[in-house]
Amino acid sequence: MQEQASLHVLGALTDTEAYEFKKAMKADPELQALVASLSIATEALASAVPAAEPPPQLRAKILDQVAPRQKMVTLPERKSGFALWLPWSLATCLASLCVLLFAQDSKLKNTLTAQAEQINSLHQLAASLQSATNNLQQTVFALQETNRLANLRIAMLNSLLADAPKAVAVSLWDDSKQQGVFVVQNLKPLPADRDYQLWVLDNGTTPVDAGVFRVDEKGNVRVEFKAKQPIKVAGRFAVTEEVRGGVTSPTIKNMVLASN
Amino acid sequence: MSMCAQTSLVQVFPAFSGRPARSFAVIIEPVNQPETQDRDVALLRQIAAGDRTAFAEFYDRHSTLMFSVAMKILNDNSEAQDVLQETFLQIWEKAGKFDPKLGKASSWVAIMTRNKAVDKIRASQRRSRLADEAATAHAIAAEVADTVNENLHGHEEAKIIQAAIVGLPEEQRHAIELAYFSGLTQDEISKKLNTPLGTIKARIRRGLLKLRDQLEGRHY
Repeated sequence: MQEQASLHVLGALTDTEAYEFKKAMKADPELQALVASLSIATEALASAVPAAEPPPQLRAKILDQVAPRQKMVTLPERKSGFALWLPWSLATCLASLCVLLFAQDSKLKNTLTAQAEQINSLHQLAASLQSATNNLQQTVFALQETNRLANLRIAMLNSLLADAPKAVAVSLWDDSKQQGVFVVQNLKPLPADRDYQLWVLDNGTTPVDAGVFRVDEKGNVRVEFKAKQPIKVAGRFAVTEEVRGGVTSPTIKNMVLASN
Repeated sequence: MSMCAQTSLVQVFPAFSGRPARSFAVIIEPVNQPETQDRDVALLRQIAAGDRTAFAEFYDRHSTLMFSVAMKILNDNSEAQDVLQETFLQIWEKAGKFDPKLGKASSWVAIMTRNKAVDKIRASQRRSRLADEAATAHAIAAEVADTVNENLHGHEEAKIIQAAIVGLPEEQRHAIELAYFSGLTQDEISKKLNTPLGTIKARIRRGLLKLRDQLEGRHY
């Protein structure tokens, strides 16, 4: 160790060797004493060189470069382990909280984005459904129309009169509403004590009174009518000439118009 | 000069024999060395607390020794001034790290100066030339009247110190001077002198211990 100590006081150790030696010296009072004693020799060496005086102005230059140090601030004494670790614990907690909040924030943002996308999808679905609903409504309307038309019975009545062969009529009957429209052309006008009477033949056979009507001077009329009894199937239509006000049963020999 | 604050001029004496052209030299009354060391320790503590007045006093006490060491190593006045300036600024910053158990303040500042001067040599890659010079011309002053020791310790003490150094075996003194003033590591000295490393280590150890033994207890 004397050799290492000698080299150390002369500055002849490498940086690594000097570091190791200082480390060893810290834990070894005898080594410290040896170094202190050897420093007598190095000081003698240093002071045995020829004397040289620094220039006088250098003193002021050096002194000018050292500013009075800031007054040392005495830190409060660390009172206890609790007081020592509490701020660090709080700082750790805050840091953890920040990390947690950041993670939650990211998670919420992701959730929000996903939900926004879901809402857009739902909007698109709703629009699609609305469109489908409209289509359905149109379909329903179409079906209703179809159904309504299906309930309609249209029949053309031809003339049975030799002196009025051009007489013609059309009957439009609505089963669901149990009512109809009857349009006549070219039927000869009747005297005041006579009426034409419309008959609906239920199931094509049973005549049901549908009311009386008169035509104008040109032989035309348009009337809305209802049967006196419920009609199950409006199979055929017929018109007879009757006494004014009509009769309960048709006079067959006086039939003027009939459908097939 | 630096010692004026603590010493007085008490004697004027002729120059050391054989030394030409110096009629008078200043002898400074040797100071009480333990008190000097205590004063240095106190000043360093004050410096550590930021006391510029203490720093100025410390400068006066040690600047000659430090500048002389720097000049010996660098042989350049301007560079020696730079080293002195840098070392004092380092003292201002590190005064609180001085440990009196590891030696005297003068040894501490001398080795700091030495290290900075050697760093400057290494930085400017002048080592080879200076090492060569050191190898051919010994660093120790040939005449005691020229030395820092005379200013610090007085003529008689300076003579004793000088005699102790000069009295070392040539190979020991040479190895020590190469290490201290040329900044060579033990390996470099070994190569420089073409001598086994173990021999170099032994020479340095024996030389320093001998020097210490001769000077120990003299309180300089």
